[in-house]
Amino acid sequence: MTPPPAVLLSRQLAARAGVSVGDTVTFAVDPAGTRTSKFRVAGIYEPTPDPMRFTAKRLEAHMHLPDLLTLVADPADPAAREAVDAINVKLADPTDADAFAAELRSRAPGVTVTPTARTRDNDPFAVLDRFHVAISVVTVVGATAFLLALMVIRAEERRDTVAILRLIGISRRSLLTAVAIEGLLIAVIGAICGVFIAVAAEGLINRIFQGRYDTALVFVRVTPAIALRSIAVALPLGLAAGIGASWPLLRGEILTSFRR
Amino acid sequence: MTSLWLAWRTTTRYRVRAALAVIGVAVIGALLFDMLLLSRGLLDSFADLLRSGGFDVRVVANDGVPFARLPIPESRRLADDLRALPEVREVVLIRVARGAVRVDGGTPVDITLVGTSETSGSGWTVVAGDHLPSAASATDRCPIVISRPLAAALDASPGALVHVTVQPEGIRSALPPVTCRVRGVVNFAFASANEHAAATTMAALREAFGLTRATDADLVLVASRPEAGSRAAVRAIERARPDLHAYSNEDVVAQFNQNGFAYFRQISFVLSSLTMSFAFLLVATLLTVSVNQRLGEIAALRALGIGRTRIATLLLWESALLVGGGALLALPLGGLLALGLDRLLRQMPGLPERLHFFVFQWRAVALHAALFAVTAAAAAAYPVWLATRLPIAATLRREVVD
Repeated sequence: MTPPPAVLLSRQLAARAGVSVGDTVTFAVDPAGTRTSKFRVAGIYEPTPDPMRFTAKRLEAHMHLPDLLTLVADPADPAAREAVDAINVKLADPTDADAFAAELRSRAPGVTVTPTARTRDNDPFAVLDRFHVAISVVTVVGATAFLLALMVIRAEERRDTVAILRLIGISRRSLLTAVAIEGLLIAVIGAICGVFIAVAAEGLINRIFQGRYDTALVFVRVTPAIALRSIAVALPLGLAAGIGASWPLLRGEILTSFRR
Repeated sequence: MTSLWLAWRTTTRYRVRAALAVIGVAVIGALLFDMLLLSRGLLDSFADLLRSGGFDVRVVANDGVPFARLPIPESRRLADDLRALPEVREVVLIRVARGAVRVDGGTPVDITLVGTSETSGSGWTVVAGDHLPSAASATDRCPIVISRPLAAALDASPGALVHVTVQPEGIRSALPPVTCRVRGVVNFAFASANEHAAATTMAALREAFGLTRATDADLVLVASRPEAGSRAAVRAIERARPDLHAYSNEDVVAQFNQNGFAYFRQISFVLSSLTMSFAFLLVATLLTVSVNQRLGEIAALRALGIGRTRIATLLLWESALLVGGGALLALPLGGLLALGLDRLLRQMPGLPERLHFFVFQWRAVALHAALFAVTAAAAAAYPVWLATRLPIAATLRREVVD
């Protein structure tokens, strides 16, 4: 007796159906079970994560094309075993995609030929990327106001100290350098803390959403480039906030700096 | 002097820091307001779009409301059966096909071709020309209305002749083109901004498909009678045709909420939580630092006989002025930001032109106000605790010694 052909089941389908490797399962073309075939579960796979379909339940199976055609082809239609929905083509030179598509259209009228590469114009993730950047900019503006307010308070606290330092001969330039360095240090420490928080949150967010949608898709990834970019944005802002907040104090006359 | 007045005087005494705090809260508040608008904006906009056609039930052959639909066999007879139901007021057949269109001497342009039994344009608004003629008054074999981008691509206006070829799904074909007359240039409700779309009558579509019998629809739109409602119409349709699937607008929106909208609902929730935490940290830090700076002043007020409750009220008012000022500014700022973010997100390919991500809702304003009231109270909690538990004599002594 010929053993049933092999099939691979997605992890989600195997869990839903309660089957494991080695089990024999029956596939049918419709819920009524009019045409059925038996298959042996040769393996269980994790579906390739697809951000366009992360909310979909991935109840999928992979089998050899002849097995599928045997299962689904209409026995009354001799041409049915020759028909497929789509053919994926990998070109030797990907830049030939348009020329290849044009030639294929002329040779096989009625065939739809679509390049799989996305341009920035028709990529939804490029739009989402711009949306995230816009939100980041707004957050940075809010954070800058926050930092500036704190630096102003800090500068006011040290009004007397600054006045005394200037009175004993320390130049404006030295004091300005000191506050600039302080602002820079606060910004660097803040940015590094932010990166650590992001790295810590990365695993948590991914676990929550991967569990929620039963997918292996990675939702958040803190890359070195992103970490460096956030530090690079924080540094000039910290520097500017430090100098901006202390500038009125350093610019004024020494005696007016004394409150009492 | 009331606590509010005293809080106002304190806030205006430290103008720069107060202004910066208000700006910070306003910017963060604007983001929060936008996230609240986003949390339901797309859903509300989608529901409006569904309702705009005047139909409240959709009948399809597949389970769910997928974008790739199966044709419904014998759909003309189905339409007659549905019209006979007492819960149903109107039935329209829709068939969507891929195709190409060209003008004489021009190159073909790929299009989405919609065949419809409804000709008065519930699915589009006329920009130039007219609607499709009703079956009874049609003089052209193939009247057609085209989207604005398609009219621009073909350089065609009402009255122009175009040649339409359809591409049936799943089979290779080279059907001969059908010559159609452009009746109007329209904006399709469900078409994206740059989509090349066209609509014609079911009879013309049948001819384009080269069929002798009526074209099967892949979507049946049903308007329920107001006295019956969509739920009753759905139940009646499912009783009459158990092999088909009927969905009310509410069902479609619920499916959309579950699948298509998940990302925006979650980013809205995450960013709302983050912005609230951020606003809390901002105001709590500023108030705490401010109270620490004014410990002597607060101890002196307590020594003069001003009670703990009044000091607490003073700090609560200070918090309320900073957060309230920022929250008020956040509304117009958030409105402007929402316009920009909406324009940005609507660049997403394939999105209906009339769909919006940020839709104004009074519910969002109320929630925004409530969240900021909670933030103001929470941010003032620690400074209040600090100020009310202050040892008066020791603090005054320390101030004098310092």
